[in-house]
This record gives sequence, C-alpha cells and structure tokens, in this order.
Amino acid sequence: MTMTSNNGSDLAAVEMVSVTVDGVTIEVPRGTLAIRAAELLGVEIPRFCDHPLLDPVAACRACLIEVEGMPKPQPACAQVVSDGMHIRTQVSSPVAREAQEGVLEFLLLNHPLDCPVCDKGGECPLQNQAMSVGRPQTRFDGEKRVFDKPINVSAEILLDRERCVSCARCTRFADQIAGDPMLELLERGAKQQVGTAADQPFDSYFSGNTVQICPVGALTSAAYRFRARPFDLVSVPTTCEHCASGCSLRTDYRRDTVTRRLAWADPEVNEEWNCDKGRFAFPYLREGRITSPMIREAGELRPASWPEALDAAARGLAAAGSSTGVLVGGRSTVEDAYAYARFARVALGSDNIDFRVRESSSEEAAFLAAVIAGTPVTTTYESLEQAPIVMTVALEPEDESPIVFLRLRKAARSGRTRIVNVGAVATKGLTKVRGELLAALPGAEAQVLQMLPADIRRALGQPGAVILVGERIASVVGGPSAVAALATETGASLAWVPRRAGERGALDAGALAGLLPGGRQLVDPSARKQVAAAWGIDASELPTGVGFAGENLLAAARDGVLGALVSGGVELGDYPDHALAAAAFTGVGFLVSLEHHHSAITEQADVVFPVAVVTEKSGTFLDWEGRPRPFGQVFRDSLYESDARVLGMIATTMERRLGPSDVAGIRREHAGLGLWEGFRGQVPDRVPGFTMMGEHQFALASWRALIDAGVMQEGEPFLAATARQVGVWMSARTAASLDHPSQVRVIGPGGSIVLPVQVAEVIDKVVVLPMNSPGCSIYRDLGARVGDAVGLVTVKRHEGEGS
Amino acid sequence: MAELPQAARGFGVTFFTMFKKVVTEQYPEDRDKYPPKPRFHGRHQLNRWADGLEKCIGCELCAWACPADAIFVEGASNSEEERFSPGERYGRVYQINYLRCIFCGLCIEACPTRALTMTNDYELADSSRASLIYEKVDLLGPMLPGMLPAPHPMVPGLTDSDYYAGKVKGSVPEQANDRPAAGGLGATS
Amino acid sequence: MTLTPVITEHWDSPDLYTLEGYRRFGGYGALASALKQDPDSIISVVKDSGLRGRGGAGFPTGMKWGFVPQNDFKPHYLVVNADESEPGACKDIPIMMANPHALVEGVIIASYAIRASHAFIYIRGEVPNALRKVANAVEQARAAGFVGNNILGTDFSLDIVVHAGAGAYICGEETALLDSLEGYRGQPRLKPPFPAVAGLYASPTVINNVETIANIPYIIERGAAWLRQFGTEKSPGFKVFAVSGHVNRPGIFEAPLGITMRELLDYAGGMRDGRKLKFWIPGGSSVPMLVEEHLDLPLTYEDMAGAGTMLGTGTPMVFDETVSVVKAVTRWLEFYKHESCGKCTPCREGTYWITGMLERFEHGHGQEADVEKIAHVCTQIAGRSFCALGDAAATPYPAALKYFRDEFLAATHTSADEQFDPVASYLFAGATR
Repeated sequence: MTMTSNNGSDLAAVEMVSVTVDGVTIEVPRGTLAIRAAELLGVEIPRFCDHPLLDPVAACRACLIEVEGMPKPQPACAQVVSDGMHIRTQVSSPVAREAQEGVLEFLLLNHPLDCPVCDKGGECPLQNQAMSVGRPQTRFDGEKRVFDKPINVSAEILLDRERCVSCARCTRFADQIAGDPMLELLERGAKQQVGTAADQPFDSYFSGNTVQICPVGALTSAAYRFRARPFDLVSVPTTCEHCASGCSLRTDYRRDTVTRRLAWADPEVNEEWNCDKGRFAFPYLREGRITSPMIREAGELRPASWPEALDAAARGLAAAGSSTGVLVGGRSTVEDAYAYARFARVALGSDNIDFRVRESSSEEAAFLAAVIAGTPVTTTYESLEQAPIVMTVALEPEDESPIVFLRLRKAARSGRTRIVNVGAVATKGLTKVRGELLAALPGAEAQVLQMLPADIRRALGQPGAVILVGERIASVVGGPSAVAALATETGASLAWVPRRAGERGALDAGALAGLLPGGRQLVDPSARKQVAAAWGIDASELPTGVGFAGENLLAAARDGVLGALVSGGVELGDYPDHALAAAAFTGVGFLVSLEHHHSAITEQADVVFPVAVVTEKSGTFLDWEGRPRPFGQVFRDSLYESDARVLGMIATTMERRLGPSDVAGIRREHAGLGLWEGFRGQVPDRVPGFTMMGEHQFALASWRALIDAGVMQEGEPFLAATARQVGVWMSARTAASLDHPSQVRVIGPGGSIVLPVQVAEVIDKVVVLPMNSPGCSIYRDLGARVGDAVGLVTVKRHEGEGS
Repeated sequence: MAELPQAARGFGVTFFTMFKKVVTEQYPEDRDKYPPKPRFHGRHQLNRWADGLEKCIGCELCAWACPADAIFVEGASNSEEERFSPGERYGRVYQINYLRCIFCGLCIEACPTRALTMTNDYELADSSRASLIYEKVDLLGPMLPGMLPAPHPMVPGLTDSDYYAGKVKGSVPEQANDRPAAGGLGATS
Repeated sequence: MTLTPVITEHWDSPDLYTLEGYRRFGGYGALASALKQDPDSIISVVKDSGLRGRGGAGFPTGMKWGFVPQNDFKPHYLVVNADESEPGACKDIPIMMANPHALVEGVIIASYAIRASHAFIYIRGEVPNALRKVANAVEQARAAGFVGNNILGTDFSLDIVVHAGAGAYICGEETALLDSLEGYRGQPRLKPPFPAVAGLYASPTVINNVETIANIPYIIERGAAWLRQFGTEKSPGFKVFAVSGHVNRPGIFEAPLGITMRELLDYAGGMRDGRKLKFWIPGGSSVPMLVEEHLDLPLTYEDMAGAGTMLGTGTPMVFDETVSVVKAVTRWLEFYKHESCGKCTPCREGTYWITGMLERFEHGHGQEADVEKIAHVCTQIAGRSFCALGDAAATPYPAALKYFRDEFLAATHTSADEQFDPVASYLFAGATR
C-alpha cells in the first residue's frame, strides 16, 4: 500500500486511534481511511475510484463495508476511522460481501467483452476483481450501451468510453494533481462519459499517468497500443534519464525492445507519477544508433574495429596530452562523469573539462563549486511540501523539472506553501501552483533579488523556506551571486535545479575545471592529496592550474590552444554561440566523440565510439536534491559499453593506469573519497547585470519546453503532437501596440524568425520564445541568448512563409 | 534332444504368422488409405471470415495458454487504409514453433474468435530449426471461393459485431482493393 | 380534520403575489419583529416549534440551523431548494406562484438567524413563471428595503439571488444543487463535510425547502406553541398537501399533519367517476406506494414510516383501477434512469438494467425469472448508492410487487396496454388513443 505522508517531520505527534477490522484491533493514525486500515491487516477491499493520492470520491461503491452502528454499508475509501470503530469487510460480513458483489455485477453490466483486444487485459483491476468478487455468470440479458471507439482525447491518449467505469480517477488526476482539468465527465446516467471540450484536447504534460491509473482499459496510449501483453514483458526498475527530477520508472521490455515505461511508486521522489516525456520518449533507445566505432580516413569516416579505433584515439590523445579538452554532456551517469573527470586529470593530465554543454558562465561555475557541489541532501521534495514559501528563480518547473512542479502544486493545494517566481511570465504553470510573479526582466533577476519586497524577504527567513534556482541563472550576470547571498542572508535553503539528469552528478563527480570530485578544489593541497590517493597517483601528477571551461574551452579549441577534444553526449545546438561551437569542433586538431546517436559532432570527429544508452548499462543519476537514483541494466546482454568503460579502454591503450571502469568499482572508489569538509572555493560576488534595450526592442525570455526538439524525444510522433504550440508570447499591451498581429517577425542579432503571436501574462517589454522547439531555436534562428534585445515586426499572413 | 520339438514349435509360430493379415501401414506410400481421425491434433490453421478478413485479433490468449511457450504473437492496429481483421486489432506477427508445440490444443480452447484451429496435417518434419517456426503466412487458411485476400475493408455497412454474429457470407465487390476475389458469393446480412 | 390554510390562506386574493397584496394581510410583519430579536432566539423559536423539513426527508429545521458554526469568520449562506422535480410533487411551485413573498420573507428571517448575508433561491428552470414571480418579489422587497443593506435600519444586510436550474432532477439533491449553483456539473458531493460546515463555496450553508421557509414568517409571527397545536408530537404543524391523480377535484389542501388520506380524498371530491382506488403514493414517486387499507393512516412522518413508506413531499398521487401498475412503475424507472447523474455505480447501472427489464414487461414479454431478479437488483441499489436518488429508484418496484405480483406475472404474456386500456385511465374526458 501507499501511505501518503501528511507530516513526515513529526511522526511522534501523530495521534493514534484503535479500530477493529474483522475482529482484529489495530492502531492507526487518526484520519486513516477504512480501506487503508484494512490493507494494514492484509484485507484487500475491492476498489476502482479509490487512489491514495487522489481525494476520495466514493463513486464506484465497490468498496462497501459494514460499519457497526451505521444502517447502510459504507464506502471504505471515504470512511475515516474513529476510535473504537468496528469495521467488517467482505471477510467477515455477508452484507459487505453481497454489496461488493452487487456493485461488481453492475460494473460489468455495460462493460464490453473487449478483454481479448484490450491493452489492459492481464493487468486489469476489473478483470481481477471480477474473478475475486464477481459472479461466475451474468444475469444481464439486455443490450449494452455503445459508443464510438476509440476516440482521441489527445494525440497520445485514446479513450474507449464503453470500457469506462466512471471511477473519475483520470478526471480527478487531471484536476487535482496535474492542474490540467481538460478531462471531464460529460452527460449523465448510463450515458456518462469522459471527454474533453471539442477545441481543447488533453494536452497535459502528465497525461500518461491517467493511462496508468485507469482501472480498466478505457484510457490507452497510442505508443503502447496492442504492443504486448503483461505476461510478455520483463519489468525492470529504472531511473528516468530525461531530467533532473529523478523519477523512478518501470521499464518494460519484450525481446530486447522497450515497449513502455511506467511511473514506479517512490513516495519520496515522484510519488506515483511521471511526465509524458519520461513515459513516452524512449524510441530513441533503439532507433538511429551508432553501431560500430568509426575512424576518419582520407577525410571520410569509416567503420572500424574496436582495437583500431582505440589505437587511433589513444595516439591522437597522447599527442595532445594535457592540451586536450573534455566535454561531458548531461546524459552522463555519475559513474560516467566521474570516469571523464578522472580520465582528463589522470590519463591526459588536463583540467580543461566542463559538463555544462549549454549556456554557462564562470560566475555560475564558482557558485556551483562553492554552494552546490558535493553537498549532502538537505533540500528535498518533502521540504518543498513543508515549506512556508518556495521561491523559484530562472526556473519554469512545469517545463524544466515536472516532478518539482507536481510537488509544488501539491504544496500549494495544501494551503501551506506560498510560491513566488522571479521571472518575466506568469505562466500557466505558475497559475497551477497558485504562484505569484515577481516581475524581472530576463537577465535582470539579480537586481530584483537584491531589492525583494519586505514581506517576501521576511517569509524567506521562516524556517523551512526554500529557494530553487534553475540552470538558466547562468545567463544572468550577478544572478548566482545574488541567489547565494539571499540564501545566506535569509537562512532559506537553496537548491539548484538543473534540467538534465546528469548535471548534478557530473558536478559532484568533478567534471568541471578546477573542481575535483565531491566539491574539492583543484588548488587545495589536502583535496589534491585525497583525490590523488584515491586515483593511485601522486598529487603532483594532477594538473596544477585551473583549466578552461565554458566558452573559453570552446574558444581555446577553435584557436588551436587545445590540440584535442573528447566529447560525450554533446549537442552542438545546445551551445548559445553556434558559430563558436561549430568552429571549436571543426577547428580542433583531434576530436574523439563518444555518442549513441549520430550528430553534427560525430560528423566532425576523428574517432567515434558507440556507447551504451541507459537501458544498456547500470549507473546512477543524482537528481536535483543530490539524491542518488541508481538503476540497473535492462538489457544485460547488450554489446554496447558505457562511456566509463570506453574511456578505460582508451586509457589502457594509452598505457595510462586508470582505476576501475566498471560501475561497482567506480562507485567504490568514488564513495571512498567521502564527504569533503574543507575549502569549497569563494562564493562569487558579482555586481548584477541589467538588460539594455532600445525603445522598440524587447528583452528575450526563453527556456526549453518539456516536449521540444530534444534528440532523445525522436521517434515518438504522438508525444511530439502534444507539445505546446510554438509561438511568441507577449503581453496584451505589447500585442496592442503592434496592432494585434497574428504573426510577427522576431529579429535577433543573428537572424530572424516568423512565429504566431500568443498573448500571455508576460511583463511588458519582454517576449518569450521557446529555446529549442520544432521550428524555433533562439540560438540557431536568432543568434540571440536569453536577455538579449530583439525587435518585432508585424507580418501579414501571406508573408509568413519561408522566413 | 528334448529341445528340438521346442525350437520347432517356435518356428511354427513364425510360420503361421506369415499367413496372418499384416498391421503395418506403409508410409508414405499408403498414407491416403489411412487418414487420421477427424479430431486428430495436427498442424494449426489461422482461419478467415467468409470475405477473406482474418479472424485472428492478435490477442495472444493462445500464447498465454500455451504450456510449451511455442506461440509468439504481436498485435497491431487495423486502420481504415489497411484492415486485416474486423475490429480494432489484428495479429501482425504470428509464429508457432513446432519444435516446442506439444499439440495439446489448449491454444484452440483459448482462442476467443475461433481463429486458431487444428488441421489433421501431421507431416511436420524438416531439416532446420528455423523452418519449423511457422509464420503467419504458413498458418493462414486457404483462400476459399468468395474470399478476398486481406487487407481490405469490412463489408460496407457491417461492423465487427456483425462478423461475430455470422452475418457475413462472402465478399462484395466494394471490398476489392484492386485484387480479384476468388469468385464472389456476395454478403447476405 | 379541518383544513388549516396558513400559507394558502389568502390565495384567492388576486394580488397576493405583489408586495401590497402580501402586506395587506400583515406581510413582512414577522420580519420586523424578527430583526428586533437575537438571531439565536429565532433559531430556538424554530427549534421549539418542531418544524420539520418539507422537502421530503423531514429533518428538524431548527436543528439544521443550529449546526451552522458561529463566529467562524466565514461567510454563511442560505440556499432555498426550489428545484421541485419529483414526479407527482406540485406544492413548491404553486407556493412560489401564489405567495412568493412568504418565501422571500422567510428567506430574510432565516438568513438573519444563521447570519447569512447572501441567500440563493435555486428554482427549477422549467417553470419560468414561478421564476418570474419570485424574482419580481425579490425586487419588490429590495425596493421596499427588506433586501439590501441595513434592512429596516438594522446592521443586517442581505442579498438574494434567484437562480434558474438547467433541468436536472439530481440538482434537487442538496449537495448537487450546491455544485450546480457553483457552476459545476450537478452531482452530489461526498459527505462529510456536511453543508452546514462546508457547503456553498466551502462555507457553512443551510439548505431548506420552499415550503419550510414559507412557514417561517408565520412561526415567528405566531410563535412556536401555535405551530405545535397542529399535528402530532413528532410531526407538528400543518402541511401543503397537493392531491393529484384520479380524483374529482385535484388540488392543494393545507391541513394539519395527521390528516388521513381518506379525509383528503373527500376534500378532493372522491375518486373519479366513483371508480375504485387501486394504489396511492403519499409524497412523490420516490416513496413506496400504499393501497386502500392504508387510507386511514394519519399522514405524519412517523405513521408513514410505520407503514413502510415515507411522507416525502406530502403530495399524494391517486391511481384508480384503470391503471396498469406495470406501466406506472416502468414510467417511474424510466424517469430515474434518465435522471440518474451517473456518479455512482448502483444507480447508474441499476436503473439502466431494471428499466430494460421493465420495458419488456410493459410490452408483454417479460420473463418470469425477471420478476424476482428486478426485486433483487433493487436490493442491490437501495442503501448502496451515493445519494437518495438511487434509493428512490429502488423504491417503486418492490412495493408494487408486494401488492400486485399477479399483474407482473401476467405481463409475461400480455402487454400492459392489453391488460388495462390506457384510454380509460386518461384524466381528460373523451380522450382517445
């Protein structure tokens, strides 16, 4: 069973009541529902509408029990137990048993005989409960009601209304948990049905959860439709690789192909939910893979054997030696990132390493090293739920960390938590968490943080207050400094919420110039000693000077200061300065690329190694809390090797001694380092930047939509179709000043793009564009970064084509 | 010397047996003379509706029932453009591994649409493992008169329920996907 | 027992529905005296009077008002349930048409008692004339200073909203009514919390029937003891009885509780054409039917419960021997099937199933096994549904079976229309099929 923790922090204060279920007396916390009390005794009462994370509704009546002193059978899912209450379930009460059988007979009345063609067949609560409490034969000889089937409630979610038992789990999930009440019950009586408004599909980021909690096969997903039966599937617990929320997932596969992913219950992290990206974006695991090593010969890449490729890589890297740069993408596990960090320092003798393959700044690096890297887990999902106030800065949780968003919504619904966002848009996501907007021009957040309204500053001083800062703070001059200062001054706990699953782990593993594992500074003698001991080298063998990072590293590669690059999990399009990044990868003398998919970088590489995707290796992600989220290997006989192993092989070929390259060995070595208590580096203290705009210019705000043009979402058209519409968000006043255009041309420093206008709660003088969605990348199309000034020109409809 | 009559008696048995009717059946020469019993469990067949659409809906109940794990099925969606069976779902992949099959017939019992039945064909020897995994094309029943090879639409105006109610007696010209029918009988509903 | 017209006393006065017409007979006098009293003392007067809810369930009104928590810093609401949609019930709509100011005055007094500054009158949308009358009355009262700010110079302010329902029987269920009033789809809410604690907009709310509220001015004016002199110990007061069906003079008769059906039949001019009574229901289709032997039972909450039925809305429907009970029960179940909101399984599926079986009986091809099956299905609905609608739907058949089993058995081969010529049961003279 799942017990929802109402107040985990003071368990001792929970008042207990004693309740008797089928003659057995137990103590349960006050407020416990009868259905849960019975579960504690191992009595499973049938249920459909009941779900531990949804408000009780008592609609299906499948869980009727007898309560002493009450004339009628009561629904166990809504009956709160009181002290001394006597409950009799179907185990001991003929009344309860008969009531439950009656309700089940009713539920099957209009339920079609679809089991052979229904995706739920084999794991269907209705099937199971029909077996346990149903009649062996039907007494119904009338005509069942019919509906057209199936209908799409969104591109991804299909609805078969004939199968629906009207339990309202999906509608309550949409309304209560996701805050997307597009799914609603319509009509009445036997014609009651789930549906959406004609012009408003169920395009929720969390729509897949309704498929999982549907107790019948009424809601199914286009992705899994007719793919397999439960008994075909092997289920493996895994961790989601799509973002830093760290969801536990169940990965189901059949014959070496992942058929679906489900949210795995983890009360401390994702509860029982996940987002649609985590659920549906998995075809990339199989499609478009690099299948063998490749080396460049006479200007062309050609497949090569492993020894040949290893030899080529080793020769090239040995030649470049300490003038090699290492780039570690956000898909890396902790173990892989640790291997990169170690490979750079030990095998190459280089400190030119960065995991931030996106917009970054040296201020951010200092902030992360001083405040975040290697710190133990203090701010958790539970802290969000208990916080009196949560302030989000440079973070749009619904898009950038959906489970954080769900937890914030839960906190807001409880009425305990006030949510404040420092940003330029009151997004729908902010409305759903009942948040307030503290207006800040993009790039000028630091100023706002320094001049917070007194009540917010006071609220942040309350115990339990939390500040969540997103990775986009890197684009704010003085932003990291201001956030760190605010946390210190108010005493609020501070957490950094990166977008990608691997970033927090890579930070802790030391995949950043100047930073050794666990937040140890490269320049700190005792830190050097500890790390050198763990790596089996002398401290003097570690690089001495802090290496290049961020755009400096790219520039050094472009300018020939660096002789070689090793890159793993890097997308060219993620760098804001497209030209710089492209020049770095084409201009560098020698490029080794470790990727699972072909990309613009592998095209340029001298040696390409195929590496394992998450299902082909084990490993760990650190979620934004810093909580380790280990996962096992799904496909145990995969021929692909992890990044760590490939690096180990290269080192061996280079005749450099590196520590273990297997997951267990790396974990042992990494853990052996322990927590770092020493010097962490100086907290940055930069003067806030400001946003400069001309009179007819607008500041550009942007972030990555949850469902966008990311490469790990490829191959899933149904998911892509549920993405938010791409357009330019602007305030109603801005739209009015442009005479309400339907489309505008947005002109950036390096290009322009025509997009439809969407009026939103944006502050004036700001426009919002998606950072990397189909048909709009601000880096590629505008050559602009967040905070840059852009111009707007109204476009007549016929001019819109071919921008 | 007392043993000789014993030996002679033994040969006597042999001698007289030479004049008895033989029970040996000659295979393959005389196989047609001795057909198996009608309910003999032979090779499987995937049946078709009278208009040629497949009865198999890819539900995998046969695979579920199989005690030898000899059956592999993968379902898929019918679409308006490409319909293999009435209703939403059809069996895209259907394989029976005759090296594993024990001919128990539980799959036949499990089949909800009578798509899977057994024939009397017992000649299932072959020279490789791969060739003893029968694919859907090997298992599908013959095209009888009035049938059109799937995919093609259902009989116009009828639903999958009408197929199950036995209202389809053959294909109609509207169902033809530029493919000739095997001599149409027409649908009566 | 004699009739005791109170709410209906001046219905023959043609302008009673106007403010002047109402005030001519002392209207709004009770309000003036009520506003001089402490709200709590009004609650205790109503408690002492023993007034019970006239909507059907008969819950003591004063007690309901007493449940509203005081000094809770939340707004309180009074909601009047004027969504009279029960088959056979026709008493609230006539009250609203003829004497709307009694309702409005009652609303003001009740709001004052429970410290509500907003009151809502939720009127069935299909009766626009009642809607107009009440809306008019509210406007007249507002113009006269009985509604609005600082009523009659006191601190008490009240706004009354007249709201039209959109045609759903379920919205007569009090919590579904609240959902509907809030703009949601009308479906009953989970209790607890009860409306007295968290009702409209999650605030303490009292929901009363039209007739209950229309009683209030008279109780305040004449005192609790006055009401207690009518009726019985457990059912004090008088009741607007609306007699309909096969009687010579169907209509509204206000009489003390405890009057018998035989007396009401007399007031209603006896059975039509001197025919024999077949069965009758005391208050709407949701209460089990009775037959001739029950004619001398006092019409009180307790006596009706003793006979296995309920007083319900107190609107007896009378059926004579020309009526097919199979057909009557089928019509009722069709109504419940149509009006079931769909929220809970027993009501949603049970009404669907039973109606299907009953329709076969009506057409003369019922199955003998279904006679008991329907009764059993009714037991699977009664007491297991989410709200009282399910219970109501399970009511007509078992009672009908108790008295008229043979008719159902006959319907296995003979249709209802063949058993009973429907033309004979038509109320209007000379009707043909």
